[in-house]
Amino acid sequence: MARPYEVVYIFDPALDEETINQKLSTFHSMVQLPGGEAPQLNHWGKRTLTYSIRKKDTGYYVVATFEAEATSLPEFERAIKLDEAVLRHLIVLNEEPPTPAQAAPARADYEEEE
Amino acid sequence: MSRQKKGDPIAELRIRVIDYKDEKLLSRFISERGKILPRRLSGVSARHQRQLQVAIKRARYLALLPYIKGYKG
Repeated sequence: MARPYEVVYIFDPALDEETINQKLSTFHSMVQLPGGEAPQLNHWGKRTLTYSIRKKDTGYYVVATFEAEATSLPEFERAIKLDEAVLRHLIVLNEEPPTPAQAAPARADYEEEE
Repeated sequence: MSRQKKGDPIAELRIRVIDYKDEKLLSRFISERGKILPRRLSGVSARHQRQLQVAIKRARYLALLPYIKGYKG
């Protein structure tokens, strides 16, 4: 049974976008369902890390959502782990997508409150 | 003496499922040093506190939130 997943990658900030896209498609080809949709990618780009990971203070964040077979995940995760360019990754089930931040009214006022 | 009971701040934002990627929202529920605030202080409902706990821990792992604020390693 295929289930929806969400993966967050933190790539080495020294890589260019092309290399990152290439790596992403290799990873995603392992979980691609036959005839399924391509994963939705959201590039956050370079961000400052709140603590350094492998002596790096920034990382290139990419969020991907896709449907995949649970049995294909171990192989997928192994490939990510072996890739030195990925500083960190997180795979979570995305069965109940979070309420989008924009849907929250008055997003601005919680910054001022304190 | 008695403080007025406030409603769940997360329910007020009409959030049902907390997003671990929304570090701006999550940062409201951590202490000055980066600890998760008890619900006694934040007024969050039990359901949302459970979600919040997981969301903050995920955000920490992804370096969106610090494990310890102000720590210079």
